[in-house]
Amino acid sequence: MAPQARFRLEPATVRRLLGLAVLLLWEVLPRAGLIPALFLPPLTETLGALVHHAGEYAHHLLFSLYAIGIAMGVACGIGIGAGLLVGSVAPLRQSVQPVASGLYAVPLVILYPLFTAWFGIGPQSKIVFASLYGLLPCFLGTMAGVQTIDRHYITVARSLRASRLQLLTRVLLPAAIPTVLSAFRIGGALVIVGIVVAEMLTSTEGIGYLITRNRTLLNSPRVFAGILLVVALVIGFDALVRLLERRTRHWRFSTRSADAVA
Amino acid sequence: MTTLLQAPDRADRAAAPQTPAAGHVQVRGLGHTYDAAGRVTRALDGIELDIAPGRFVVIVGTSGCGKSSLLMMMTGLVSPSEGSITCGGMPMMAPDPDRVGVVFQEASLYPWLTAQQNVEFPLSLRKLPKAERAARARERLALVGLQGFEDRYPHELSGGMKQRVSIARGLVQDPPVLMLDEPFAALDEQTRITMGDELLRIWERTGKTVIFVTHSLTEAAYLADEIIVMSARPGRIVDRIEVDLPRPRTYAMMSTPRFAALRERIWGHIRNQAGE
Repeated sequence: MAPQARFRLEPATVRRLLGLAVLLLWEVLPRAGLIPALFLPPLTETLGALVHHAGEYAHHLLFSLYAIGIAMGVACGIGIGAGLLVGSVAPLRQSVQPVASGLYAVPLVILYPLFTAWFGIGPQSKIVFASLYGLLPCFLGTMAGVQTIDRHYITVARSLRASRLQLLTRVLLPAAIPTVLSAFRIGGALVIVGIVVAEMLTSTEGIGYLITRNRTLLNSPRVFAGILLVVALVIGFDALVRLLERRTRHWRFSTRSADAVA
Repeated sequence: MTTLLQAPDRADRAAAPQTPAAGHVQVRGLGHTYDAAGRVTRALDGIELDIAPGRFVVIVGTSGCGKSSLLMMMTGLVSPSEGSITCGGMPMMAPDPDRVGVVFQEASLYPWLTAQQNVEFPLSLRKLPKAERAARARERLALVGLQGFEDRYPHELSGGMKQRVSIARGLVQDPPVLMLDEPFAALDEQTRITMGDELLRIWERTGKTVIFVTHSLTEAAYLADEIIVMSARPGRIVDRIEVDLPRPRTYAMMSTPRFAALRERIWGHIRNQAGE
């Protein structure tokens, strides 16, 4: 075969090219007048706004990060902890799971006005809202994960006389880690969404607030600068989850599937 | 089972002294009936066993004859509906890794732990000092021929190696009795024979009482001092065969008339049940 026939685009290369194309179009389309700059300011202008008001963006970003950090801790801590407990006790799971799944379908954002009334328009109401928003997927995902744990792991622990606490922390928790991580991926992303949306609705601080305020001022470059920061935030979170997944890669090989590979 | 969180209570834990009788396993009048969704099944009936310390006993029978259930009862993991089991003179009411080490059919290692950590696991549950844990686990891994594989994860080990780690874990608390539930069933034939030799070597070196469940006639005849043949459900003991083949056992013995006669005798029992 001819050498050029072997030339193939790697998926990673395609991804990078696509990203580059989007950035390029972002710059070219408004500059060429194909899209009004009010709807889509050129990339360089957006970055310019970001650099020019770096101090302000940094302040609001930190504020959002603080709220996200606390809400993520609450959502994932309680969600994963409760998911482990409820998931491992069948009668409890059977009564709780349908209710929790049903609740998950409710758009919790309808409760946000209530939270602002209860907790004020400061960070508290946002943290409560985003915690609740991210908690359910963490809880549901972990609960489902516990049920898929190989029964042999539990039998072995019993044959070694593990206590209930040891069974929970030394066997069920590590065995559930792959599912817990995917629950964390969804729950954590929803926490970010929850905080930003809450800031956009009622707030005086945070990246979501900046986006809304600049939108009412029709300052498009600064709106898009805020959006860029939110995207960067999500990419950062995704990188964190990937790192955790890489560090727990041994978990994902069940002993039996490894036999098939070997 | 209704809950994953069922752990045995620790109240009846017995400190078993390592007296000469520690490896003595006795089963008296054991029977088991279970009720699955309204259908009552008699699984085991009138089981009597007396296994002297240091013996290699193989329980053989067709699938579904209750041989694995019987073993699980001897380990203390499952309670029989009637009868009693003692190990070293003390009843086996609950699992006790100080008296009985268990090796399961499936490679039951924890995939998030290395070979070394898997073997240390039982000791870490007992909160032994780290240095002692590590030393004992390393020594057990060496015993099963896995020196240099301490830091491998289960998915980086072959099927046979994984079962070696399981055996090392079963022996790490130095129990007088080792019980194995079809440990080599998932392995290919060559590995199976090698693992049988390995187990015999380990048994000879440690002097443990070994109770080994299998459905393989060859494995039974090759490994055992005594073969317990079980009937189809309800599982009863239909024969006890003293194996008079000399030790050490060799691969060549498998083609001798004595070996063939042994297999023939076991097969006779099993064939009769199949015809019923």
